[in-house]
Amino acid sequence: MQANVIQPVRRRRLSSKVLEERRLPVLLLLPAAALMAFVVVFPMLYSLYLSFTNFTLVSQSSIRFVGLHNYQTLFRDPVFLAALWRTVLYITITVNLELVLGLLIANAMSHVMRGQGILRTILMMPMMFAPILVGFQFKWIFNDQVGLLNNLLFEVFRRPVIIPWLIHKPLGFITIVVAEIWMSTPFMVIIFLAGILSISPDIMDASEVDGATEWQKFFHVTLPSLSPFMYIALAVRSLDVAKAYDLVSIMTGGGPAHRTELIWTYVHRLAFTSQNFALGASMSYITVLIAVAFTLYLFQQLIKARKVRGL
Amino acid sequence: MRKSLVIVAAFLLLAVSAFATGGQEAAKAPKVLKCAFIGGANYEELYKEIPKWEAKTGMKVEIVYKGDGFQIDKKLKTDFAAGLVDYDVCWDHSSFFTQYIKAGGIVPLDEYFSAEDLKDFIPKILDSGKRDGKLWIMPRHFDISCLHYRTDLFQQYGLKVPGTWDEFKATALKVQPQLPAGVYATEFAGKEEALTGRFYEVSSCEGAQYFDKKWKPGFNAPGGVKAATMFRDLYKAGAMPPGMTGFVWEDVAKNWVAGNIVMYTEWYGWYSYFQDPSASKAAGLFDIARQPKGDAGVYGGWAGQHSFSITKASKQKKTAADFIKFITSAESQSVEANLGFLVTRSAVWDKIIADAKASGKALDAKRLELAQYQAANDFRTPPLVAEWLPSSDIVYPIVQAIILGDKAPQAGLDEAAAKVEAMMKERGYYK
Amino acid sequence: MSMRHRRHAGAKVATGLVLTLFFLPVLWLILTSFRPNIEINTRPPVWLSRNLNFDSYLALLGFGVNPERFAFGENVPFGAYLRNSLVTALFATAFALVLGTLAAYAFSSFKFRGRNGLFLTLMLLRAIPGIALSLPLFFLFTRLGLTDTLLGLILAYTALNVPFTAWLMAGFIGEIPESLNDAALIDGCSKWTAFLRVELPLVGPGLAASGIFAFLTSWNEFAVASVISRTTAAKTFPVGLFDFTGEFVSDWRGMCAMSVLMLIPAVIFVLIVQRQLLRGLTLGAVKG
Repeated sequence: MQANVIQPVRRRRLSSKVLEERRLPVLLLLPAAALMAFVVVFPMLYSLYLSFTNFTLVSQSSIRFVGLHNYQTLFRDPVFLAALWRTVLYITITVNLELVLGLLIANAMSHVMRGQGILRTILMMPMMFAPILVGFQFKWIFNDQVGLLNNLLFEVFRRPVIIPWLIHKPLGFITIVVAEIWMSTPFMVIIFLAGILSISPDIMDASEVDGATEWQKFFHVTLPSLSPFMYIALAVRSLDVAKAYDLVSIMTGGGPAHRTELIWTYVHRLAFTSQNFALGASMSYITVLIAVAFTLYLFQQLIKARKVRGL
Repeated sequence: MRKSLVIVAAFLLLAVSAFATGGQEAAKAPKVLKCAFIGGANYEELYKEIPKWEAKTGMKVEIVYKGDGFQIDKKLKTDFAAGLVDYDVCWDHSSFFTQYIKAGGIVPLDEYFSAEDLKDFIPKILDSGKRDGKLWIMPRHFDISCLHYRTDLFQQYGLKVPGTWDEFKATALKVQPQLPAGVYATEFAGKEEALTGRFYEVSSCEGAQYFDKKWKPGFNAPGGVKAATMFRDLYKAGAMPPGMTGFVWEDVAKNWVAGNIVMYTEWYGWYSYFQDPSASKAAGLFDIARQPKGDAGVYGGWAGQHSFSITKASKQKKTAADFIKFITSAESQSVEANLGFLVTRSAVWDKIIADAKASGKALDAKRLELAQYQAANDFRTPPLVAEWLPSSDIVYPIVQAIILGDKAPQAGLDEAAAKVEAMMKERGYYK
Repeated sequence: MSMRHRRHAGAKVATGLVLTLFFLPVLWLILTSFRPNIEINTRPPVWLSRNLNFDSYLALLGFGVNPERFAFGENVPFGAYLRNSLVTALFATAFALVLGTLAAYAFSSFKFRGRNGLFLTLMLLRAIPGIALSLPLFFLFTRLGLTDTLLGLILAYTALNVPFTAWLMAGFIGEIPESLNDAALIDGCSKWTAFLRVELPLVGPGLAASGIFAFLTSWNEFAVASVISRTTAAKTFPVGLFDFTGEFVSDWRGMCAMSVLMLIPAVIFVLIVQRQLLRGLTLGAVKG
């Protein structure tokens, strides 16, 4: 295999022969495009149409076009705006914490020589949990009367410790952050571990010869090499956390009193329990648009970072 | 010639007999009645009776779906909206059925159930399933809440059984400072429809109407404010577990059986669990009383009935009705009565009360008599309108905010009322 | 030399601590599945139970055991859930790999109008969560008779996984130097044959990486499954977890037992593939 890992490989240049075969790429893309159109694009278009109506789950027969009414409503809805803000905050805090933790853990793990396979598998276990299950787990861990955490504190202090983790401000928010970090930091660790392992040993040895300490090595060699990985991890994880629903819905249901309300817990309740699917659809659209804008921005940064590394 | 005739005759005979048996088999092949029911725990005991009906009618019953109350509600709503109804009989409930009427998913039952069929059912309960003068749901069992209190703790702290919500609040506030850590005077389920229901219950006692006759919200009247203030004051004084705004039914019951609650309002349906010494630390240590009343002289009585309905999409409605008659018969209801469910036929009541009296445990009989009394006098369902749940989604977070101290009672309820009014207007209620 | 040992010892301790923290909830899950419900979540807490047994597993696997009063395990159609989850996840993974790799090949080896735009659109479709998709997809599937079918779920999950797969594989395929490809072309292969013979075998690690993520995503998906599946014909494990929650009482022990069983195929899959995964991510992710 000629693939060169020591020096970055140049992107392949395209020969004129390639440009002649125009049919092949279309054929290759057709299955994927068709599937995406069928399963994602059409339903979302239907959803878009519904967002301009007054469709509710119980009044199908009297559906009516209402134009921008739902969009006007949602921009005037303080709960929606607060949920939007809170979701952005949630993404920012969890993803950045996951990033930092992931870096530190990956760095530590890269020094451990033996048993990497088993370590990695244990580490990846939180990723294998269904988010629903993680929600149930942490809901019980943080229960104020009989949760694992308060029970541990009970053993330490020898009297009932009733801290309502899921209720008080800002504890409620902290608990959903903790649960998300537990569940997803392994993803970051794996990505960064891969990145660290791909750093050429020559560079590392060279820096040691120069007398660099562990921390200096970390900051001046490891981190810069990992920057493209970081952007990718950020992009992927941000989108994933933006979609967060299962976990929070089980743990707090967005409550109490909207204290941990994220976009999708709110939309789900609006669309299903409150039957107002049209309003839910309009909120979905606004949210997806924001997520798209953010991802575009991150991709731009990624391209810049790649250029810096000479890729 | 004769040989060929014989062969043709034999062939014809074979063909005819094949048709005949085929026809017989077609007639014998059981037709299927499909059902979507509530599942979990004790709900499923009743379904073990179904083979009896299958044997009697030669039909086969297939339960195509089993889920808890909210799951099956979501399923029914989405099915009715999408036209994907492939079952004849479905679970229903007094708090939910108006949604299904609006969605055009269920049919009135009056043409399938005669006055004779309905005679034995408790009238107030039957009425709670009527809308626009038609009957939509057949009652299976009901539940209503009563005050549960620990006799040992009441004695220890010299407490009297409260008769009004004012006394209830005063008692709780008085006893809490004397209680050890981790024990609470009372508790309420603190989120979703459970909280809205309790709030609706207490505020009705205090004279506030959730919706007035014109469907305008009235829960921000003084009665509602008083109710919300009571919840808030109890929480603030630490007389309720701090995690209460995250509790639903299972959580409050868990605290009770852990022995950590002095008194609270709870559904009758839990009785056998509460009296089970292997599961409950309160077993044998509690008594029950009628719910307290409020300023309006109204006793608490939030109630609901689990029931059965026939879907509009069903192609065998008569058979479905026959099945419902079986599953709500006196025999079937006896099965549920033995599990502690409050059934809906008067004849069964007489029997189970007699049995309870013979059991020797005073509380067994007392609770049944009280339940029967409450069913006749205090039974009250939430507003029978499809928008009950949507309004609940608006109200409960605000009541939570009031309880937690984020909002003031009057201001919060005014805000909730304005939002509910806006929603009702959008749904066409104020023409 | 001893300095390095000390540093590495420190790293080992740190790693051990972190892994313990991450593993603790898993341990708690496993322990809970062996204890009677009354010992779970009580105060004072019961740390060492004397009543450990396999009953909740036996009930789930159909041995006719009922561990306790409110145990639901007996009535849970475990076999159906296992079948549905396995079939859906495996097929969706396979299809996503095929479709995604083909798309990735198209993006990384050809230049055509709208290439960048299409690629970006594919990635951005990932911003749509299952929740937003579930109800409209439900209406669409109803019209086509795909509700409550494994085929419907497979189609949905394949679509959910194609973007990430395509993106990851595009990186891998872009890695392969042109010289290899040219060599095959000179030998007289068409472009397509060259792809099959030269490039595809080299992206094994990428397939492994994409495969793991696709499998886990499908295995653990809830929002779409909860709306599309309604009976044991199509219900998957995550939806089945709710069989253990009743309106009034829940069987946590039973749920933990099923969760542990749910984890086993995922662990096996990952164990087998994780080596390739790391190699895969090393090469593929950076170059994008």
